[in-house]
Amino acid sequence: MKEGRLKGDTSLTDLRRLRHQMPRWVLVLLACGVAAFVAFHITHLLIMLIAATVVAYIFSSVITAFERFGIKRSVAVIMLFVLTAVFVIGADLIFIPDLKQEIMHAYGKFPEFSRQIQDALLLTAQRSAEKYPVIESSIIKLVDNVFGPSGFLERTLNASEILMQATPFIMALILVPFFVFFLLKDWPGVMKKAIDWVPPSYVETTISVIAEINILVGKYLRGLAADCVVIGILASIGLWLIGINYPIMLGIVSGVANIVPYLGPIIGCSVSSLVALMQYRSFDPVLNVVVLYLAIKLLDDLVIQPLMIGKSVHLHPMLLVITLIVGEKLFGIMGMILGVPFVTVAQKTAGILLEHRRETQKRECTQRLILHRLGRSPVRPI
Amino acid sequence: MLLDNKIVRKYFTWALDTTRESHLRTLSDVPLFKSVSKKLLRKLLIDLIEKKYTAGDIIFHEGESGKAVYVVLEGSVKIIKKTNSENKALAVLGPGSHFGELSLIGQCSRFATAIAEKDSLLLIMYKSYFEDLIRGNSAISSRILLNLAEILSNYIQRDQSE
Repeated sequence: MKEGRLKGDTSLTDLRRLRHQMPRWVLVLLACGVAAFVAFHITHLLIMLIAATVVAYIFSSVITAFERFGIKRSVAVIMLFVLTAVFVIGADLIFIPDLKQEIMHAYGKFPEFSRQIQDALLLTAQRSAEKYPVIESSIIKLVDNVFGPSGFLERTLNASEILMQATPFIMALILVPFFVFFLLKDWPGVMKKAIDWVPPSYVETTISVIAEINILVGKYLRGLAADCVVIGILASIGLWLIGINYPIMLGIVSGVANIVPYLGPIIGCSVSSLVALMQYRSFDPVLNVVVLYLAIKLLDDLVIQPLMIGKSVHLHPMLLVITLIVGEKLFGIMGMILGVPFVTVAQKTAGILLEHRRETQKRECTQRLILHRLGRSPVRPI
Repeated sequence: MLLDNKIVRKYFTWALDTTRESHLRTLSDVPLFKSVSKKLLRKLLIDLIEKKYTAGDIIFHEGESGKAVYVVLEGSVKIIKKTNSENKALAVLGPGSHFGELSLIGQCSRFATAIAEKDSLLLIMYKSYFEDLIRGNSAISSRILLNLAEILSNYIQRDQSE
């Protein structure tokens, strides 16, 4: 009994000691874990927060440029929002009428396009029926799933379905700028509070980790954004030059898809090839589209990416595929788009933290060795 | 620069960052940043981090690998060096002073220990930010490196005379 009470007392003391010994960052990590768990169950909120963080990171350099002129950060953020509004209204006046026309035209032509694809597929099924009955049944199943009543297209293009899917999109259009505003405005204040909270002995390591992540992530995200814009513009101009319909819309699709490595250019090329095939009903323009996208990819790999992103950030192809699959499973298309930058940043952060840990251990080991040689420490160095 | 314009100063004070401006004045008095133009100092100031230390806080220990340079904004910092078994105070630094500048050169470990003597407010410049800044700006890098060389030569001269 006495022994049991003693044991209980010991474990209670151990717990108290652990609470006192536990660095604050462990508590912060635990809090982050709980927050991540909650956010995981509110997928839309998490996606919006990640998107807002990425956008805030991209625009933080603009805010820094304003600050260099001696302007207060809050005023700089308001100026950025006003400038963005002016830019959006300007773009709305210049590009949106054409883009709107392209989308309406594509939407109007869609039943015809889908019928043509359906006919082509059924013809292929008929031709291969005798030799390959498996292919015939697969194609018929595919046509039924995609084009049939209550198939993929019917569900996707249904007005009420579009409205339902548009609701989170409209919410994101309102909430993401809202989050971006406060992230940009208050981030240095939050960082200052966080640094004040860090014990003096951890300050240098904390600052060094923050600084290295900041430099790297900023460079990566801004580079990626610029890369996507350049790819989008190149694709638009190229498609317009070879006479493919909807160049602005296809340029935007190619630019956005470019965020996803390897898969992005294939998606862009496939969509544009499909449009070219429907427009000309011949494979020659499709070949032009493929050549155009190959040229863009080559230019991107050899010139644009090394210039804008650099070679410091790269995901292993296997990790990339896993990221894409997990991202798609957890958060759909947005998971695929945001998953790669997110994992890249996480990978680099882990690398920096491990390097710091190794450096600290090495330093402690050297100090112990010196003390041991001087005869001031009874402990042999590890 | 906007802040140097009299009209802007008069009518747009609400839009200007006066705290940063006062930090800028302190920074321009720091020997490490001597003769660096205000324009470049403003650029440098963006990446500096402010941190409060209470009296007795150890800012860094002797022998640790240095990763940052410190500028004293408020309060005072004592620099201590361990010789044999006793601690020798090398200097007490007040507002406008800097320390830890050796960390900007290579993988130098801290030469002495820095302790906040009073409650102090310090500006911390991390090495990577400095390297990032000088990589893109030859004017600021050559100026700061010259200042650093001057500071180091003063240390050597003082050491020899002692």
